[in-house]
Amino acid sequence: MQVTLRVNGKLSEVPPSFIGRRLLDYLRAELGLTGVKEGCGEGDCGACTVLVEGQPMCSCLLLTGVLDGREITTIEGLPETFLAQFSAACAEYGAVQCGYCTPGIAVMAAWLQAGGSEVSAQPITKLLEGNLCRCTGYQQIIEALSALQ
Amino acid sequence: MPPAKSPALRPSHLPPVELYRPADLGELLAHAADGVHLLAGGTDLVVWASQCGEPRRLAWIGSIDQLQTLDITSDRAHIGAAVTLSRIVRSGQFRSLAPAVVDGAAVVGSVQLRNQATLVGNVCTASPGGDTIPALHVHDAALDIVSAAGDRRSVKISDFVHGPGQTGLNTGEVVTGVTLRGLGQREGSAFSRFTQRNALDLAIASVAACLSFESDGRTVARAHLSMGAVGPTVLDADEAARSLVGHPLEPARLRNCADLTAECCRPITDHRASADYRRQLVRTLTMDVVDAAAERAIPGWLAVEAP
Repeated sequence: MQVTLRVNGKLSEVPPSFIGRRLLDYLRAELGLTGVKEGCGEGDCGACTVLVEGQPMCSCLLLTGVLDGREITTIEGLPETFLAQFSAACAEYGAVQCGYCTPGIAVMAAWLQAGGSEVSAQPITKLLEGNLCRCTGYQQIIEALSALQ
Repeated sequence: MPPAKSPALRPSHLPPVELYRPADLGELLAHAADGVHLLAGGTDLVVWASQCGEPRRLAWIGSIDQLQTLDITSDRAHIGAAVTLSRIVRSGQFRSLAPAVVDGAAVVGSVQLRNQATLVGNVCTASPGGDTIPALHVHDAALDIVSAAGDRRSVKISDFVHGPGQTGLNTGEVVTGVTLRGLGQREGSAFSRFTQRNALDLAIASVAACLSFESDGRTVARAHLSMGAVGPTVLDADEAARSLVGHPLEPARLRNCADLTAECCRPITDHRASADYRRQLVRTLTMDVVDAAAERAIPGWLAVEAP
């Protein structure tokens, strides 16, 4: 089985040893994209969120082999201009404490800024329900993301 | 660029699994007959494989076109086994046809999980608290099943789920999709659940209702009520539903119906809630969803007074 992904705009052929492993493992251990964090490893915390064809998913629950031909975007692949805006908003509102949830939040923020939603008029709190912050800085995160919209 | 390959990285929770990507239903059935587990969204299965080391052989159903179909007609919907919850939540047409199912699909997990998880996967996991299952009950859903020999059968959802994690699927059989009945005239449906958190949580109790009215717009013509997380499987509250039929939906009648659902449910006490608490939740949720279903059937329906 041959599996090729486009990760952050770059084509990469997945070695056979990673086809039956999680996308998270492939991104971190093989490609060195350590901005993708493993929190819970069961899809609850959202620290491992990446965009698959522009839609947020948990990379800890995806097997690399099912993603042949797909476009994957991690925090490392977000545009510099966006990351500068995101950092500035986080600094202004105090939206980063320990920082472990931040890469997943950044990916969600990029998705939101690109018009991401499930149905119309969903509040950010609903769309961010899959990203846990154990420093419980939600209010500041919501404020920072609202300012980015 | 970040550094390439750091040897210090912690090994994966998930030892490599043997993964197959069948291109058509025939290949998938051959894998199923060989005892390979079927992988849809993976939001349950990949966690089990990571934490329990089982199953080790998985066949992904997502590359089979016919399992990706979401067919909606004026009175029915067929949802292929690989259709994700987010496709259901995003479909306005599906929402008009089966709003209770959308209510359920919209509260499963989170945005990320709904982008991956499938409706059929939610059913096949067969959790007593599966958020889409009560709504599928009230929409008279049936599972479309095909065997390795090519025999097709259709099984009512209430006959399909046998217990927690147990279904009537035989070895070698594959669920290709679920077919449900859409709303008719003067008919509405709704689902509601109670959880400790608003997301990423399992229902402590849930109720779905589907209600249709006679042409007078007041008398209940048909009713179906179904309850989740208060029994080994999702349970239909037939007697409670029957108590509504043939009468206008007045507050006293609705309260009596809610009492009947609370009486016929079979909750247990566990770490999430006591049986008695669940019973009281079922009563309240019944009032809520019957009211919501009636509002969808006859917009402007007079809201029921608080219990």
